[in-house]
This record gives sequence, C-alpha cells and structure tokens, in this order.
Amino acid sequence: MSTQHGAAATGRERSSAIYAEDLSKCYRIYRKPIHRLWDVVFNSRSYDEFWAVRNVYLDIPHGSTVGIIGENGAGKSSLLKLLTGITTPTTGRVEVQGRIASLLELGAGFHPEFTGRENIRLNCAILGMTPEETAERFQRIVDFSELGDFIDRPVKTYSSGMYVRLGFSVAATVDPDILIIDEALSVGDEHFRGKCTNRLNEIREQGKTVVFVSHDMGAVKSMCKWVVLMDQGKVLEQGTAEQVADTYLKRAKARGNERLSMVHRGKSEYPRWGSGEVEVVHFEMLDEHRAPTHVIQTGRPYSIRMVWKAHRECANPVFGVGLYRTDGTYLNGSNHQWREQPIELQRVVPGDEGEVEIFVERMPLQHGQYYLTLFLYDHSKASPTAIDHREHVLTFEVLDVDRAQHGMIQVPSRWTLTRRGPSGTSALESQR
Amino acid sequence: MTLARLYRSLRRHAPLVGNFVDKDLKGRYIGSTAGFFWSLVQPLLSLATYTFVFSFVLDSRWSAQQPTSQVVLMMYLGIVTWGCHAEIVTRSTGTLIDNGNLIKKVVFPSEILPAYISMSALANLLIGVALVLLGTLVFGYAFPAADPTPPDWLPSPGERGFEPLRLGLSLLSVPLLLALHLGFSLGLGYLLATLNLMIRDVGHFTSALITIWMFGTPIFYPEAMVRERGFGWVVDLNPMAWLVEAYRGAILFGHWPEPLMLAKLALVALASLWLGTRFFFKAQHRFADFL
Repeated sequence: MSTQHGAAATGRERSSAIYAEDLSKCYRIYRKPIHRLWDVVFNSRSYDEFWAVRNVYLDIPHGSTVGIIGENGAGKSSLLKLLTGITTPTTGRVEVQGRIASLLELGAGFHPEFTGRENIRLNCAILGMTPEETAERFQRIVDFSELGDFIDRPVKTYSSGMYVRLGFSVAATVDPDILIIDEALSVGDEHFRGKCTNRLNEIREQGKTVVFVSHDMGAVKSMCKWVVLMDQGKVLEQGTAEQVADTYLKRAKARGNERLSMVHRGKSEYPRWGSGEVEVVHFEMLDEHRAPTHVIQTGRPYSIRMVWKAHRECANPVFGVGLYRTDGTYLNGSNHQWREQPIELQRVVPGDEGEVEIFVERMPLQHGQYYLTLFLYDHSKASPTAIDHREHVLTFEVLDVDRAQHGMIQVPSRWTLTRRGPSGTSALESQR
Repeated sequence: MTLARLYRSLRRHAPLVGNFVDKDLKGRYIGSTAGFFWSLVQPLLSLATYTFVFSFVLDSRWSAQQPTSQVVLMMYLGIVTWGCHAEIVTRSTGTLIDNGNLIKKVVFPSEILPAYISMSALANLLIGVALVLLGTLVFGYAFPAADPTPPDWLPSPGERGFEPLRLGLSLLSVPLLLALHLGFSLGLGYLLATLNLMIRDVGHFTSALITIWMFGTPIFYPEAMVRERGFGWVVDLNPMAWLVEAYRGAILFGHWPEPLMLAKLALVALASLWLGTRFFFKAQHRFADFL
C-alpha cells in the first residue's frame, strides 16, 4: 500500500520518505457532547481548541534513521498519528512515499478477541497485503514472535511483553519502506530486545527509513544520527544527535531543577532528630560551575556543601553523608574521619560556625533519581550519638546521555585487546 | 460519488472484510459448544414463544384463518428477516467504538465494519431462508396442509383467499429483495455508527427503537389485522413491513413482488444507503479524534 495522504505526489520528484509542511493538529474540546454533533452538522464553533502539533516542518530522506524526542505531552504521538495518516491535519500536509508500518502503542492495531494468528492476518490485511503476501510471511512472523502456544490464544490474554513481541514481529516482517516505532521497545525481555535491535539494524542496512520516538535521550542517541526535539507541539530544534542532545540536556536540567527545588521548598516531611549542639543550617549540591543544582550528569564533577553553626559545646562532631537510590538502596556513606587522612575537628564551642564541602571528580551513578541523608554525629562517646540527623535532606537526579555503560554505576576502566594470527599480531587499547 | 467510493473500498479491502466475516461466523458457529445449532435454535425458540403468546394467549386471528404450518413458516421467515435487520443496525451502531483500538492507532478503513457486519448477518438470514424453503417443500408438497375447517363466522376458503404453499419462479426476485434489504439496513447502520461516535446515547436509542420497530412490523400478526384496526399507516410507512410481506409472497406463495412496492423500496434503500455512507464518509477523517 503506497500511503499518500494529503496532497499526493506533486509535480517534482521528491526524494523524501516523509515530508511535512506547516503541519498542525488542533483537537476540539467540546464543552458538551452534543456540541460534537452540531459541529459536524452545522460547523458550529462551540469548542475550545487544543493544538497538539503546531507548524511542524519535517523532511526525512529515504534511508535515514530519525529520532523524535520530547517530554510526555510534547506532541510526539500526535505527530506520529499525523505522519501515519491515522488522523488528518488541521493545517498543512504530509507526503509519505512507501508503505508505513508503525508500532505506536502497546497493542495498537490488535483486536483483543482475535488470536495471535488472526491478528497477524488482520494486521497484514490492514497494511494492504494480499493473502498471498501474507501467507508467504506468516511463518516468519510467528517464528520471530516466539510466542509458542500463545499464538493460538486471544491476545486479550497476553502480557504486555507478548503484545510488543507480536506487534514488533508483524511490523518488522512486512518489509515496510518506513518503520515508525514509538518507544514500544522498552518493554519486553533483554533477549527479545536484542533481537529487535538486530532486526532494526537489518532494516536500516536495507536502506529503509526508521523513525524512532522516545523521551529517553540515551536511547535515541544510540540509534539515530538526526534528532528532532519537540516541546508543546512545536519542533524546538532539529539537528545531529549531539547538537540536540545538548539542548535537550539543558532543558532537562532546568526542568529537573525546577521540579526538585519545588519539592525542597516545602517543609521536609522526612524525619530529623538529634541533640542539636551543632546544626546544619544549609545543605546543597553544586555543579562544576559551582551553581546550586538538583541535576547532575554522569561522569561530571560535583560537590556537596553544607553550612553549620554550633549552639552549644560539643566534644567531637563528625559530618557524614549517605547516598541512597529512591527505592531506599544504600549506595554509599562517608564522613570526614573515615579517611586515609582523617580530619580532626575537635571541640566546638557556641558561636563557632563554618562550612563542609565534599568534592567528587566524577559522578559514578547512571541515569536515575537519588537522595542524600545527612549524618552529623558526636563521636566522643562509646558509640556515636546523633547531633543532627536529617533523612532525605536532598533529592537529585542523574542524567546520562552518553550511555557509555549499562547498569547502575559507571566504572572508569581501561581495555586491552590482543589478536594473534597469520596476518600478524596486534594489540589494541582503549584508555576511556 | 459516495456509493462508488464504498464499492471501491470494499473491493480493495476484500481480504480484510473476509477476515472479519470469517472470524465472526466462526465465533458464532464454532466458538460455542453447540455452534451452528444455535443459529437455528434461537429463531426457533423465539418462534415458539411468539406463537404461544400471539396464537394461544392473545388468540390472534392468523391461526384461525390459516393452517398452523403456514403460520409457523410465515412467522419464522418474518423473524429471520427482522433478525438480519436488527443485527445490522444494532451491531453497526456500536462497532466503531468496539473497534476504537484499530481506528485510533492504525490506518484502518473503518467503512468495512458495518459492511462486514451486514455480510455476516446476511449469512444468517440465508440459513433461515434455506430452512423456510425446506419447510415449504415439506408442508407445501410432501404433506400439504388442508385449509382448516373455519369457524362459522368466517367466510368460505375461496372467499378469504386461502392459498397453498408454493415454490415458484418468484424465488428469482429474492436476490433483489436481499440486496434492497441490505442496502436499507446498512445505510441506517452507517448513519447510526457515525452518530454514536458523536453522541454515545445513540446506542441506547437504537436498542429502544429496534424493539418498538419490531412490534410495528407484521411479523407475529397478519398485516391485514393492522389495517382492519385502522393502523394501516404503520405498515405503509414501514419499509421493513413491505420487505417482510414481499419475502413471504416470493418464498412461500410464489407471488412476484408488487412493482410499485419494489420501486418504493428501491428508492428508500438507495436513499438510506446514500445518506448513511455520505454522513459516514464526511465525518470519517475525524473518527480517531472522536474516540
């Protein structure tokens, strides 16, 4: 099926797989359900407008892999629906050359009562394939999905992972000219994800066009050379992955900071206890430019700074900080005495004040949310007693755009690799 | 032209329509344990119920004027005809919402939905008609029923127009009747499907309408009875009444449909189909937004 909606092939020959001009989509929010009818029948105007996509220009050449990125509600899905022709644009037009297969949402295009097999037939028919074409690919789709006996059960009994498997198997096997994937790949097990990535690479190598949509910059960056950044229905920036990642990061930082500092503005709901001889009056995280922040990038320097004040005499106050993941996993704890070169603060008297700062050269954590807990304890007694203990004193987010390593932490490492063979011997090395 | 567009689309998406009809019929006939059996038993059950209510409890005069075998066949034919109409109209009304997952998330030719429903309904109707034809053979030829002895107050058989069951060339008109029937019901189906997207209350309205409409159609009582009581306009304005009578004449008694009725029916069916599809296609590009 050659999907060409909007104004079809214009006089000149286009080399774009997808071309969109001044594309906008306005949803009408009706105050009362009946207004819908009046609108259709009489073109009455009793609705509020919501512009999900606004004045978008896109030119995606054949054979490219393009990422569309933006926060939730940025208009990515609305844009995709316009590109695939599911909805019609309010203004502008779309030209598409070739068959589009899309994987828009979990279970999109499936009939819940149909079995996996029947849904495969249904989907192939929707994509405009003849029964012969379907029959030819049928077994490949079934094999790829690895659904086993579930292929003969209604898809309403499927888990979300199974949905994705079936959906991806169909979309990837029908030999589309353009494949549109809307972050569906994030579901499913590691094994199937690997298979999907392989298949995607094959499709790209065949010179097909792939449009990949996500709110995860890391995932987009690893797949796409060209990235379109959307916000509030508009294209904020489009360019190479590096350029756009930069803008995206700035925005994500600003947004994360805004959200997290909002959280910290209110009175803390987490417990705080201690005898109170010394008080930490201020606690913050600083980025490499020494600006207070709640968002830090993996591998970059940062510091934790606190300001203290002594109200009463105290024999041996020790400042410590604990690092936790939001699920409560204790990742790291340290204080100024547990060091190769311990700091000896000794006795403080009323009126003393000062600052503590912990400098970290490289943020070792990968993408996620974390929090800090303050431990100010008196170590002069047999067992340390709390002076000022503050649970959850600061929440912060770590952004990781490079995705150099997987997992929870980044481990700086050096790799060597040697090869000996008839063609000679070589020793390869990577420092970072 | 709207109808040409519908035709082209149905032809292009024939495999897709086939999928849906196949699944639908299989679901009905294979899914349940008794399967196929139910499609026969269901009308038979309603036949038994209505025969009991109308002939024995309410003593509708039909039973006194005609042999029971004829009454039963006439009622059965009426029930399956109506069943086909009701199925198309009610199922079409909800079909866009039921298949919202397809319409909202993939490029889906939604116009095939009411079409596949009517094809599946037609299959059921054909089974019913086949059964009636069998009955006509049995009760018209193998065991012809004599005119029952009329009560004293009725005129003699000849005067009140008793007719034996008869298979005739008029059967050739059945395909035409079927086409007009489907056109009429399908047009309504398209209209109500679209309306139901805009106002969800339409679904409730449809089920109420179908019930009232059924009793306004001479399925369980003879048409003449309505006329006698002065409600002739009810059947005159009801295309389903025309259809039921025409089917009965053509299948049971070898009567050709009246040309005037046929012309009216053709006009109404075309108008229904044209208006329904026009309205449907006009709103179709916004279905995904409505859902």
